[in-house]
Amino acid sequence: MSGQQRTFCDGLSRRDALSIGSASLFGTTYSLSSILAGEAKQATPSSDNSLIILFLAGGLSTIDTWDMKPNAPKEFRGPFNPIATNVSGVQLCEHLPKLAGQMDKFAVVRSFGHRNSGHGVADHYMLTGYLPGAGFNSGLKPNNQRPSHGSVIAHELGARGPVPPYVCVPTMHNSGSSSYLGSTAAPFVVESDPALPNFAVPDLAPPLSIDANRFGSRRSLLATVDRFQKRGEAKFNAKARTVSTFKQQAFDLMTSKETKQAFDIHSESDKLRDKYGRNTLGQSCLMARRLVEAGVRCVLINHANWDTHYNNFHVLENDLLHLLDGGMSTLLEDLDDRGMLDKTMVLVTGEFGRTPRINNLVGRDHWGPSSAIAMAGGGITGGTIVGASNERAERPATKPYRPADLSATIFHSLGIDPKKEFETPEGRPIPIVPSDGEVIEELFA
Amino acid sequence: MSICLRIPGAAVSTVLLLGLVGGGLQAADVETKTSVRVSPTDVLLSGPDAVHRLLVTAGNKTGNKTGNKTGNETGTERDLTRDARYRSLTPRIVEVTPTGVVHGVADGQGSIEVRIGNHVQLVTVRVHGSARRRTYNFERDIVPLLSRFACNTSGCHGKAEGQNGFKLSVFGFDPMADYVALTREGRGRRIVPSLPASSLLLTKASGGVPHGGGVRIRRGSGDYRTLHDWIVQGMPFGESDDPKVVSIRLTPTERQVDMKSRHQLRVVATFSDGRTADVTGHAKFQSNNDGLGNVDEFGLVTMGESPGEVAVMANYMGAVAVFQALIPSDQRLKEFPSLPEANFVDKLVHQKLKKLHILPSGQTDDATFLRRVSLDIIGRLPTPGESRDFLESQDKDRRKKLVNHLLSRPEYADYWALKWADLLRVDRLKLGHKNAYTYYRWIRDRFSANTPMDRFARELVTATGPVRENPQSIFYNAIGKPGDRASVVSQVFLGMRIECAQCHHHPYDRWSQTDYWGMQAFFTQVGFKTGPTGSSIRASGNPTTKHPRTGEPVFAHALATKMPPAHPEGDRRRVLADWMTSPDNRFFARNLANRTWAHFMGRGLVEPVDDVRLTNPPSNPELLDALADHLVASKFDIHALIGVITASRAYSRSTESNATNERDEQNYSRYLLKRLDAEVLLDAITDATGVPEKFHGTPIGYRAVQLWDSQVPHYFLKLFGRPYRVSACACERAGEPTVGQILHVMNSPQIQKKIAHAGGRIAKLVRESTDDDYVIEELYLTFFNRFPETSERQVALAHFQKAVAEKRSRAQAAEDLAWSMLNSLEFLFNH
Repeated sequence: MSGQQRTFCDGLSRRDALSIGSASLFGTTYSLSSILAGEAKQATPSSDNSLIILFLAGGLSTIDTWDMKPNAPKEFRGPFNPIATNVSGVQLCEHLPKLAGQMDKFAVVRSFGHRNSGHGVADHYMLTGYLPGAGFNSGLKPNNQRPSHGSVIAHELGARGPVPPYVCVPTMHNSGSSSYLGSTAAPFVVESDPALPNFAVPDLAPPLSIDANRFGSRRSLLATVDRFQKRGEAKFNAKARTVSTFKQQAFDLMTSKETKQAFDIHSESDKLRDKYGRNTLGQSCLMARRLVEAGVRCVLINHANWDTHYNNFHVLENDLLHLLDGGMSTLLEDLDDRGMLDKTMVLVTGEFGRTPRINNLVGRDHWGPSSAIAMAGGGITGGTIVGASNERAERPATKPYRPADLSATIFHSLGIDPKKEFETPEGRPIPIVPSDGEVIEELFA
Repeated sequence: MSICLRIPGAAVSTVLLLGLVGGGLQAADVETKTSVRVSPTDVLLSGPDAVHRLLVTAGNKTGNKTGNKTGNETGTERDLTRDARYRSLTPRIVEVTPTGVVHGVADGQGSIEVRIGNHVQLVTVRVHGSARRRTYNFERDIVPLLSRFACNTSGCHGKAEGQNGFKLSVFGFDPMADYVALTREGRGRRIVPSLPASSLLLTKASGGVPHGGGVRIRRGSGDYRTLHDWIVQGMPFGESDDPKVVSIRLTPTERQVDMKSRHQLRVVATFSDGRTADVTGHAKFQSNNDGLGNVDEFGLVTMGESPGEVAVMANYMGAVAVFQALIPSDQRLKEFPSLPEANFVDKLVHQKLKKLHILPSGQTDDATFLRRVSLDIIGRLPTPGESRDFLESQDKDRRKKLVNHLLSRPEYADYWALKWADLLRVDRLKLGHKNAYTYYRWIRDRFSANTPMDRFARELVTATGPVRENPQSIFYNAIGKPGDRASVVSQVFLGMRIECAQCHHHPYDRWSQTDYWGMQAFFTQVGFKTGPTGSSIRASGNPTTKHPRTGEPVFAHALATKMPPAHPEGDRRRVLADWMTSPDNRFFARNLANRTWAHFMGRGLVEPVDDVRLTNPPSNPELLDALADHLVASKFDIHALIGVITASRAYSRSTESNATNERDEQNYSRYLLKRLDAEVLLDAITDATGVPEKFHGTPIGYRAVQLWDSQVPHYFLKLFGRPYRVSACACERAGEPTVGQILHVMNSPQIQKKIAHAGGRIAKLVRESTDDDYVIEELYLTFFNRFPETSERQVALAHFQKAVAEKRSRAQAAEDLAWSMLNSLEFLFNH
């Protein structure tokens, strides 16, 4: 059965390759939707834009999803078939049917890659734009030698309303923190799975045994008991001042309607929750939308289990791709329905791709040199395919893009100057984006 | 300040000037003699393109800063350089810019008129050699431009992989490599000798061709001309015996200044042939405290609005110099009161406060002292019983006795071992359970026995023999590379960060690569060998160290000492340990004194504590020296040093500020609030609630401070910034609060469980006493280690009555009071 389908798919690919393949051969970019629209959408860099990163920790196999190679030898190609999408000439994996229907909303960079194939180091590379240096210990939580994208955003743009500027769902990624930008730029971590039936953000509300009345009386008691708050100490001690500010923020968080509303995933309709998928990935995507809606500037979804060394195809087909398909496609659709997609950049990536050659355990191993990343919103033109990998997806065949370029692209969309420098504790000036990072302009074509 | 400039041409005496500019000056101060000075009054411009910057100042010239001046001098110096008007009286010989930079035009003698209001001063300028053909030296003339315009910084072409294929050595430490990169690489397009102006070096830097780094050097500027003419002359590299920079002199070097005033610096370099040249335009500047004083790229310093002392560094070709500004409060004190002094600490602190016109806060009460000193020495809150006893004691020596008692308690060793285990990196994941534990025990035993710190350092650095008998040798396991060992030993025991000099000359200090590799060479002999009785450590062989750039051998030698002609014989580490712990080694004694002082006072005399640099001077050098002297005299007895610090009035000051010291966090005029370490805070919550914590792998009742493994899983400790022990930096212990921390103390079920635990202190208290007043008093003694004030008692009693009226239990009322105390700044900080 699959054989026949493959023939069909092959045929389709070959036909389209006349336009697609040749275009990618020369490293140019095409975007059908923009051509159809007759005018290129304006890239809209703005400090009012937001960012959602769906981080598929372990490493999404992009040769099986965003950048299929149906014509590659069997030991590379794998059993999955490409299918057409709602953008003519662009194909995705057959196990991403919902995303195929949303292809006009997102772009794929196929000439992406970097020079590291180890989890911790590559994570840091992708989430900060910087390859970590000597002394890096990936086991640390956090392990940031450089601030994560979310921390830079929090530091540069600050909070938008009572909600924190940068949130990690459901847990913090080890490379998701602020390094030398300090604790005000560190993420607020949800620390709870939004797919749980009794999901609630820990510590955001008093324990159940303390009712609102009692908490109110505790709080007014605190105001009178805390004499340093009333005297000069809180005002004239830098450290106490920070705590006072954060205490106010904590109360704001606890009492603000926006926060309560944003985290109250139970108030979402069952229909939409089902559509996102009743699983950690799906509900985290939904949570991300709610948070951005409430004013959060960056949400980092940390989703694990993508490290498919064994049984890659079985795991992808029966488990992971289903989650990704439902969660990501509904997120894009939902953002678009609410008119938020233009102002919300969505990045879907792992820390690297996976070996194009299938291993003895029917798995794929780590592969830094080539992968594909999916991006949408924030000015990005949907349906765009940027660049191409070679015929076996082993390395970029066109101008390669690196993590620094990804960082430049993100900060470009959020209106942050990539050249601005921060000083490390050693007094070393470090620019927000490594100086060789350049915006992936084709995404905004 | 520009006020003086707007004074019309009428006679403006310099005295009046001072009065106006000083703003807050008292009438009596105006009598101070003052004058407008131009520096220099005699300028020699030697050679082509020579320039010299004039400086114009008014006000009191700061005398010997360390001198103990009598009276109450408030005279500050003001910089009028930007306010003066300059005119050349001999424009054919010499020209001057509107901001006072003198250029030669032709050989001869000329003069410049400097005018401030009605005050006029003439400056004689002699110009010679102006028409001489300029000869260039790459290192002397071109590299400083690459530094000045930030071409060779680590963020740009100076980074390891270069920038867009063009790589320079960072900060220009390798002129030959830079010369090759410019003249030979890049297919010869970077420099086009036949058409100098089309060289990429010029077109990129001046923006003629798109340049990622933007326009750096203006076309037609003097620096542009220098690059151009150097190319015209055939890009000479220069001769090896061409003069090199020997030192730089910064003017002024120290000055007493007003808040918000501005001060222009001048940098004059001395070359090895004795020639001097004004290099202000090519030097780089940096302030050690931007809040107190900020410096721009032209060397103009702008003071902030706080009193204190700031150091501004200038760097030119690896030579550094410092300008120190003392900024007294603009609320001048008519007279500084005579204050009691407990010991030499107070004398030196008061001396500084007097200069700054800052009045110290009053002394704190016994209750706060008890809490403060307990948390500082043993990392633990006093119990309510201890608090009662101390507060009721009539003994005149009670504070001193308390300190001695605390020093003898086992928790002292627990707490100080925790701090040193951070710095010396006791890491179970890296070292394995057994090694990490024995290493930790070794550290703890030293503090338990109050081992003199020189011996501590010597035993650690020179560890030899079976690991079983010398657990301190595990240090060499924790830090495996010789270079890293050199960095860690320097940072922990000398307070200096030398790792910059691994790859290039330290940009803010005197250390060169030779200094770094000289330290590295002490540690190259060390190795572990496994025998039948286990692993042992020894130093053997005669490994060589090469300078990474020149390839010349570098022989083991300590910082600031001369390199010997060969490595020391035998175990080189002994030589290092001898040097390090010698009573004459100021680095060692000062570092330990500063670290200890910072622990108790919340801020180091050098801050950060492990960043001792020529260009980061101590805020009170006399005090730092006196503390170091004391440490040496007591044979490095930390207990004795703690005794001196805790006995001082500086240590026992109140946290309440007054109008003169509310902006001061630098000079110990009031006690600063200190964050509690993660472990100490958790123990404090545990002690106060009387509900013990259970940690993985330890028996119940083990306190967090006693955990030798900094990776024992624990949400609270992680949340509150327990360090991971991956660097020698004290900064790894995150002091910064987060919203998550605050939410956790307020709302977490774990804390609520401790507060409401039926077997806990609060429940027990309510069960055992029906007297609300007593319960309240006990809670205050437990959480705040003091009796409640009358008003606090009333508020708490009302709270209890209200709870009962609303049909809630007394236990709940007590829990709520405890909760609000736990969440107060008074509990969360050491104060």
